[in-house]
Amino acid sequence: MPDPKQLKRTHAWRTPNILFSLTRVPDSERVIVGSSDFQINELDLAVEKPEPIPFVGSGHTSYVTGLALLGDTLVSAAYDGQLLFWSRETREQQKAVAAHQKWIRQLVASPDGQRVYTVADDMLCKAWNVGSGEAIATFTGHELLTPQGYPSMLYAVAVSADGKHLATGDRVGHVAIWDTESFEQIAELETPGMYTWDPKQRRHSTGGIRSLAFSPDGKQLAVGGVGRIGNIDHLDGPARLEIFDWQAGQRLHELENSKRKGLIEKIIWSPAADWILTMGGDHKGFLTFFDLQSGELLHQDGNDGHIHDGVADDACENIYVAAHQRLERWTIANS
Amino acid sequence: MTDSHFCGSPEHRISRRGWLGTTAAAGTALAADMTFLDVLQSPALASELQTRQKRVILLWLAGGASQFETWDPKPGRPTGGPFAKIQTSVPGIEISELMPKMSTRLHQHTSLIRSLNTRIADHGTAYNLMLTGRVGEPGVDFPDMGAVLAHELGQIDSEVPDYVSMYTSTEGRRKGKAGFLGARYNPMFLTDQMTPENIGKLDSISSVDHRDRAALRQLLAKRFSSDRPSPSVASHNTAYERVRGLMASEKLFDIDQEPRSVRNAYGPTQFGEQCLIARRLVEAGVPFVKVARAWWDSHGQNFETHLELCADLDHCMSALLDDLQQRGMLEDTLVITLGEFGRTPNINGSLGRDHFARAWSCSLSGCGIKPGTVYGKTDEDGNTVVDGEIGAGDLFATIFKALGIDYHKEYMLGSRPIPIADFGAKPVEEILA
Repeated sequence: MPDPKQLKRTHAWRTPNILFSLTRVPDSERVIVGSSDFQINELDLAVEKPEPIPFVGSGHTSYVTGLALLGDTLVSAAYDGQLLFWSRETREQQKAVAAHQKWIRQLVASPDGQRVYTVADDMLCKAWNVGSGEAIATFTGHELLTPQGYPSMLYAVAVSADGKHLATGDRVGHVAIWDTESFEQIAELETPGMYTWDPKQRRHSTGGIRSLAFSPDGKQLAVGGVGRIGNIDHLDGPARLEIFDWQAGQRLHELENSKRKGLIEKIIWSPAADWILTMGGDHKGFLTFFDLQSGELLHQDGNDGHIHDGVADDACENIYVAAHQRLERWTIANS
Repeated sequence: MTDSHFCGSPEHRISRRGWLGTTAAAGTALAADMTFLDVLQSPALASELQTRQKRVILLWLAGGASQFETWDPKPGRPTGGPFAKIQTSVPGIEISELMPKMSTRLHQHTSLIRSLNTRIADHGTAYNLMLTGRVGEPGVDFPDMGAVLAHELGQIDSEVPDYVSMYTSTEGRRKGKAGFLGARYNPMFLTDQMTPENIGKLDSISSVDHRDRAALRQLLAKRFSSDRPSPSVASHNTAYERVRGLMASEKLFDIDQEPRSVRNAYGPTQFGEQCLIARRLVEAGVPFVKVARAWWDSHGQNFETHLELCADLDHCMSALLDDLQQRGMLEDTLVITLGEFGRTPNINGSLGRDHFARAWSCSLSGCGIKPGTVYGKTDEDGNTVVDGEIGAGDLFATIFKALGIDYHKEYMLGSRPIPIADFGAKPVEEILA
């Protein structure tokens, strides 16, 4: 079993751009990254100096914030509101869809590889048929404005391992859980601690729910973001994680860590659901493990760049991290 | 003395008697209190006022807004961030997509300056620079923009405040100062609430008693001064009138006096409400109103911050300009959008931008401005000014000239002349009407 205390960074590659999204080619050391130069590149991390291989097409016109590889089809999403479909084999763009009116924040694939789900600042979650590129359904219900009258954002989306449930989370800490067949909302949760509105000193907010992840059995939902920020000029607040029995509406854990601060951008459950890995940061990055029985911090490490995305292999032995001007691989040795 | 506070042009010289006469002729009962100012919702009267005097509203973007996310976008460059640029109503001029409403109004109202190089990038010193138009010096307490413009545009016998400053957030809150111009030009400073404190009538005094006491005081003062004409006696009486005016100006700060449609146009945010108050104040004759929107200091999450704050700025600034225009006031009201500096081209590890004063932007709208113009240029990454560099003094000279104020004018501090725009400052003629 991978032991979080054996976490070790094995490789780090500097990049000129900020890496916002990452997906892994199964059974390989190859990853595909989306970045702040609006480009998508594939890299082979098995070689000493990986050379980026670009995907070619009309491409995106803003930061690339979501990637999913489904067979040979790569689907990408960006702040330009577009959903692009690419052939991984030829690395050529095949289709472009004007998916949302505002920034697409995240993209997640269904476990069967037939669909992708997107969330955007138009406060909509949409389901897409990967084969046709057509919209299947639109999930509505998140408020367009914050209680103070400012634009809200729909940052996070996750799908359960059986594909039956979908969760979406927004800037003010509202979580909706949806049935992916009926497209109806079946539960909702509130995490007001994720909304960092400062009513007195600076009168704005920077937090919100930035990450969601269902437990392997689908019964629990982890919600990540940042807690109360003292000075919202910076990401100067504790990384905040809440875990729910979402069907019962019961909060099981409410965890904060101030040693390594900032947003939780990515959550990964261990295969046995005995620990959970959170990744993110302020101006630096962190990888923080919590024990899911006790809620105690198990282990923590960091790097020099805010982590925007990360994926693990099936055994959770290798973690690939997309960060501020760097790409990293971490390993978790077995105990 | 009573003539010394006008901008100088005969057509803008306030004739208080004329003003009172106009309103009296309109059949309006000019009670001793200031509730009559609400008749200014009448477009005809608002128009009458606007032909006489110039006003300034400063939208102060405290903490420093990003020029990349407002007036000088660089999409596709490493420094440009994620936002696109959008075409404005002026061919060839593009601004950030975060300012869509202003993009449709540029040709009507607004000029952009993209070439400020003010060098100073710490909040306190830069604040003083951008609100006094010059670097401070020991021993001289320079007045800020509001005090100077209150001095130049106000009237000595005004019953409304000359300088109102709203700053709700606590971060970066500074009161503003009249400096060597004296306390007469200090701002009425509103912080926690938008209605001035301690200007209400005591509950223990009835309205009738209040009016009667004022009438008695006026009667005695008139009898006294008729035999003793002197500036000091006149000043004493003016002070009483001014206090009475201030006491009765409470309604000016009450946006519930406005029709629902007008309030809706400004939107639900506090900044919107304060912009509406600003419009009410200048309409009633307040020469300078500062509305501070804090806090733009986006060292972390610059893009999230600007998504939130630019939506507010774009909407409220557009609503304010529309409202002023519809009331016929924009020709005589200058709306300045300014902060203490801009933000760095570099995007830091928290997706933030830091302080940057070498190449940044501001906007001027309305009075004296040639709309649809852009002055100055930065390089392709926004690192430096490559054309039309100006400093804070030049901006002040431009503001003064737009308002018809001689920017060469000097105040005397003892025997030392102090020019109202810093030594060597020149206005940007290209954006002046």
